Amino acid sequence: MRDDLLAARGVTFRYGEREVLAGVDLRVGEGEVAILLGPNGAGKSTLLKIFSGLIRPHAGEVTVLDRSPSSYGRREMARILSVAGQDTPLDFPMSVEEYVLLGRFPHHGFFGQATALDREEVDRALAMTSLEGLKTRGLNEISAGERQRAALARAIAQGAKAMLLDEPTAFLDIYHRVAFYEIVTQLSETCGVGALVASHDLSLCAEYGERIFLLSGGKVQAHGRPEEVLTPEHILAAFGVAVVCDRNPATGSVRVTALRGTLPARD
Amino acid sequence: MAEAADCLPGRGKGVDAVRNRAIVFLLLASSFAGALVLSLSVGPFPVTLGQVFRILSGGSADGGPGETAMRVVLTLRLPRALLGALVGGALSSSGVAFQALLRNPLADPYILGVSGGAAVGAMTARLLLPGDSFLPLPLCAFLGAALAASVVFVLARRRSGVSRERLILMGVIVGAFLNALIMMMVALAPPGRIPGAVYWLMGDLSLGTLGRVGLLAPYVAAGVVLLFLLSRGMDLLLLGDEAAFQSGLPVERVKTAVYLTASLLAGSVVAVSGLIGFVGLIVPHGARSIVGSGHRRLLPAAFLLGGTFLILADVLARTAGPSGELPVGAVTALSGAPFFLYLLRRDGRKP
Repeated sequence: MRDDLLAARGVTFRYGEREVLAGVDLRVGEGEVAILLGPNGAGKSTLLKIFSGLIRPHAGEVTVLDRSPSSYGRREMARILSVAGQDTPLDFPMSVEEYVLLGRFPHHGFFGQATALDREEVDRALAMTSLEGLKTRGLNEISAGERQRAALARAIAQGAKAMLLDEPTAFLDIYHRVAFYEIVTQLSETCGVGALVASHDLSLCAEYGERIFLLSGGKVQAHGRPEEVLTPEHILAAFGVAVVCDRNPATGSVRVTALRGTLPARD
Repeated sequence: MAEAADCLPGRGKGVDAVRNRAIVFLLLASSFAGALVLSLSVGPFPVTLGQVFRILSGGSADGGPGETAMRVVLTLRLPRALLGALVGGALSSSGVAFQALLRNPLADPYILGVSGGAAVGAMTARLLLPGDSFLPLPLCAFLGAALAASVVFVLARRRSGVSRERLILMGVIVGAFLNALIMMMVALAPPGRIPGAVYWLMGDLSLGTLGRVGLLAPYVAAGVVLLFLLSRGMDLLLLGDEAAFQSGLPVERVKTAVYLTASLLAGSVVAVSGLIGFVGLIVPHGARSIVGSGHRRLLPAAFLLGGTFLILADVLARTAGPSGELPVGAVTALSGAPFFLYLLRRDGRKP
């Protein structure tokens, strides 16, 4: 049994009156790539924010390496848990390299100089995300997909054991989508990184996810291996879309295909 | 994509300049020194550059007109130039800090009501305190600035933290209120109680004496050093509050520290030189385009550039008018407002 890097037990969260999470249980172990699936507004981002300590649940608890996020010092926490979102700064001239170097803050702090190790980690992260050629370019001069990879590179450079990745492939082309999952898999296999990836990419989740959590209606409706979670019943219940699930003839992974003309009307 | 990068010339604004850091700072420092020397030489009483150097190096300028030249340079122009350097540097540093804090390159101390608060504080001190008690002015101005900053901060605070949009909105509202207070004070003050108030409000360096320079210097030094210590934190603030927090920054504490320090700088400067606009807005832009956004380089560069800019603006203010001089605030605003428009238009064209 692998140790839990991330665990949520009975997590409940409300925005005002609206209950977004109503008792969510979830675990991500060391070296595991877990996928968080769910329709828009299902509370995926909210759950990730609770894990990173930005907000606290109204009931239940989350732990990062068996401790509550609020019990960590900020830098201590950032050395254990890194987050890649979609928001990159564009109003100020900042090179890709400078941006990725900011991920090393938890290691050198306010007053330390960037060490050779910091530079090494930054170069490694840039190489993994194929951004070496763009490192002197400004963030506002590269494409949205390249910025998304830069955000991933920053999270990698942070060198944390646990990673939260919020829809990290939204702007990526198919090559870089695949590359993203390859990178995350590589990190989990070589460094024991546990990643929780919020995604909408059903087919790649099936290919790369070791465990999938399907979040809908405030609860984890199903979890387990891709073939256990990605069934027509689960997907119809969570997303309201009729699909066919078969096996990819090449890889044997689950393949989800939406059926045309079956979309029920929504209020 | 790696191939494409090689074909495109690096258009990174300031990004490539980082490599030539030493040269850049040498140039900045020499233009600062150049502006300083120039300002000692230019004016109604002509002093040649050679004389300036001889006076500065301690040698007397050979009797006769040299005596006068020495007095003009050492007691009139030097304090004024030093004051300009301090004020310009402090306003620019403060601007850099507010821009990082609000993650908005169009922010400066004025937008947040901080300068207005400082002006009200300084004027209150002059109205209520006896005689020509200049000493407590910077302190009162800082208190006014800090009070205004706190009010804006509290008004903008929500349970989820302080949002930039609300901060700017509240800053504008509080600033308008403080402006009304200033006008009331000027209108209702007993004649002669706040001499030169109108001129001072327009931004004025003519009050420069070595004593005042000495009074302002510790405030500016403390503020600049504090900001420099916070520079890593400001780098991370550019990521946005959530990402900065997730990168290990104690965001709320750093924001409060940056806010108070930037208010201290702006407040103490307003006490001495009044409301000099646009320096805190334009100079950080210029400095950023030269050395990039990293605050460890940006802050020193902005200080030097700000000092240079204000010294030169003051030379212009002293010599432009056929009779007497213009307030330096008028000069900075005259050059600053069009530049601000240019920035807005350029930003509007950004992809």
